[in-house]
Amino acid sequence: MPSLEETTQKIRETAKKALADGKAEVVIGYKKGTYPLSTAPFFARTPEDCDQLIWSNFARINLANYLPGRPGKVAVVAKGCDARSIVGQVAENQFHKDNLYVIGVPCTGMVDNNLIAAKEQRPYRDYSETLDTITLKGADFSTEIKKEEVLRRNCRTCANRTPKTADELVGPEVPGAQADDFADLKELHSKSPEERMEYFKDLIKDCLRCYACRNACPLCYCPVCFVDETRPQWLGKSTDPMDTLTFHLLRGLHCAGRCTSCGACETACPVNIKVREFNRITEETVMDEWGYEAGLSWEQKPPLTVFQPDDEASFIK
Amino acid sequence: MPEYIVEENALKDFLQSISKGRVLLSPQGVGDKCQITETTPDKVTLNFTNTHISPKTLFFPQTEWLMSFQKDHSKPHPYVYQDLGDKAKSAVVFGIRPCDAKGLSVSNKVFQNDRFTDPYWKGKYESVIKVGLACKDPFPQCFCVAMGGSPYGATGLDVLAFPSEKGLGLKPITDEGAKLLAEANLKEADLSSELKSQEEAAIKAQGIPDDYSPIDHRGLLNLFQDPQWQSIAENCLNCGVCTFICPTCHCFDIQDEENSEGGVRMRNWDTCMSWLFTVHGTGHNPRPSKTERVRQRFMHKLKYIPMKQNGDRGCTGCGRCVVLCPVNIDIRSVALRMSTLNMQKQA
Amino acid sequence: MSEFEPKIVAFFCNWCTYGAADLAGVSRLEYPPNFRVVRLPCTGRLNPKFILEAFKRGADGVWVSGCHPGDCHYIAGNYYARRKFIVMHYMLDSIGLEADRLRFSWISSAEATKFQHMATDVVEHVRACGPNLKFRKAPLILGMEEVA
Repeated sequence: MPSLEETTQKIRETAKKALADGKAEVVIGYKKGTYPLSTAPFFARTPEDCDQLIWSNFARINLANYLPGRPGKVAVVAKGCDARSIVGQVAENQFHKDNLYVIGVPCTGMVDNNLIAAKEQRPYRDYSETLDTITLKGADFSTEIKKEEVLRRNCRTCANRTPKTADELVGPEVPGAQADDFADLKELHSKSPEERMEYFKDLIKDCLRCYACRNACPLCYCPVCFVDETRPQWLGKSTDPMDTLTFHLLRGLHCAGRCTSCGACETACPVNIKVREFNRITEETVMDEWGYEAGLSWEQKPPLTVFQPDDEASFIK
Repeated sequence: MPEYIVEENALKDFLQSISKGRVLLSPQGVGDKCQITETTPDKVTLNFTNTHISPKTLFFPQTEWLMSFQKDHSKPHPYVYQDLGDKAKSAVVFGIRPCDAKGLSVSNKVFQNDRFTDPYWKGKYESVIKVGLACKDPFPQCFCVAMGGSPYGATGLDVLAFPSEKGLGLKPITDEGAKLLAEANLKEADLSSELKSQEEAAIKAQGIPDDYSPIDHRGLLNLFQDPQWQSIAENCLNCGVCTFICPTCHCFDIQDEENSEGGVRMRNWDTCMSWLFTVHGTGHNPRPSKTERVRQRFMHKLKYIPMKQNGDRGCTGCGRCVVLCPVNIDIRSVALRMSTLNMQKQA
Repeated sequence: MSEFEPKIVAFFCNWCTYGAADLAGVSRLEYPPNFRVVRLPCTGRLNPKFILEAFKRGADGVWVSGCHPGDCHYIAGNYYARRKFIVMHYMLDSIGLEADRLRFSWISSAEATKFQHMATDVVEHVRACGPNLKFRKAPLILGMEEVA
């Protein structure tokens, strides 16, 4: 596997070339964040800008989010999941494939800062990272943490780490992890309806209704979200638990057959709600019913935009 | 006013004494669960970073029912409006950080000034005695010094507590705080020199602060028309996390929820990052794009509030938005760019 | 205490179940009066938020009914609807809504007897679930008692 520095170099070269060849007017990538363990999205427009692009274990935000509605030719740095989101956006006519140049980065997973916080409570002002380790440096200590132990949960079960639909890969393909077997959801199903509702109500009890999960999601590009509709108003603005649950349910349903488990929603959540839990239910459904995984090829049609005359639905009487 | 000292083993008695007849509020839990909640003296700890979300929830809850109304003509009072504002409880909060206390004092001037008084805020804010806990070791995200505060700042506090060599030092700030301490039967001690040296060390620990003072010197239009807003907005997701967790963000939205018998008027936190925040009944939106919305947040914090509140900034450097912003829009870098721009224009 | 009478919100397709309800009435077939009907042009028009809104506002059950697959007035509306129903059904089931509270059915405009039986069946199943207390918004407390 190439190191982070090698990948960074390769991204910079590819970005410069994409700009020089007129494949793109802007390259959307990541730059180093101003705070330990963070990156910021970066819009590189000149070759000098491109030297700020980096690759990191903290490139968590899905840059496909910046594509819908963007004018001009764009190159975008994409992980496996991001590239899948881009395929979805192209299928939904949110972005034209001709204006797109996807710089694919085979990814070995991104780090969940909350898991790091659980391992190291002492304050640190500096850090360094390699492909497999994170080193935190405090006033009088230095802790090395293995990346494997602090991967985001969607990264642990990511079977599509190599962005196969990318225009160019900046590194060799990486093997996917063991795919999500939804074991915890299956276990949940063995519980009573009361217990299940208790679980989900408890899951979202801290929700601030800031909608960061929605805004960080590359699929949520509706000009007016249902939560913002006022005529009629579908959702109360208070912290009523049922309004909050309705928001999460509908967001989950809207993403059915489109979610690529990029985890941007969970990364953005300020109160660490496992919002992807709702998406996983629909993910499991589309997998079980139609054997569909979002964004794996340019040809496939999203499952809710097509049908088979003999679709099985025995619960409909 | 004299300082007092509470030895470590007497902390519980002290808390017992100050919470007599009052509710005791203190930060509880760790990480994203750390919040100021009702507690008992034995559960109070001094070992916490800062609350995950700012303590504005104490005085300005996310959802607050203001009043109810009824429209049933068969009842004797067909149009009765009833005040439903939270009944203010006499309380003492122990362990609020100076940045948050200062932030709440900024909001206090919004909710209570010579033109308006908000009874819902006033009742809650004034019935709580605020005992702050100074930050001996500031955290990596802290920048209160750069924003004109101090890890030992006393603005908005009644009593400032700080870890002393002999235990917990207590410095009364207001008369109410002095009365609270006088009643608690404490040992007096002269800690002023220790306090001063601690404060200096804590300020030093934050490093050389950025100088944001050029923002204050005129240049409103220069700042407003700065092209930098576009590049900041390009990154911004308009998610509003920064506004929800901020100690000085105080914007709200009034909503009526009704059923067949009547309804309730409530106010909920709102965020200037949402397009819905400014959209008019006609459909016109004076802040139509991310650029205007992002500009509003930073201009409000760093320019409009200082203009209205004698130079006090609407950012107190608590660092929450720096840590929680999903795309790492750092108010420190924004403020620095605003400062340098202003200097260039003046030169 | 009187027996619990469930309130059910029903979403019927204009071209089939709505007609079946009409035919059942004209044919003097008795069925329980517990549901309030919302007429849809096609079950494909059904947005998941309609169902959630009904529950949120206190409905004890929701019943969605449309044309048999292959019989859609708009050729394929109910095929698309069926896929949406599948996703919705599993989602609401997974988060713990009792399965009997939400019913999907296909009833053509000629099937008045099927409509009668289905209506009775839906009401009885929802009745067995009891009032919807968990999947609804908490009622507003107006606090008027103190005033009066």
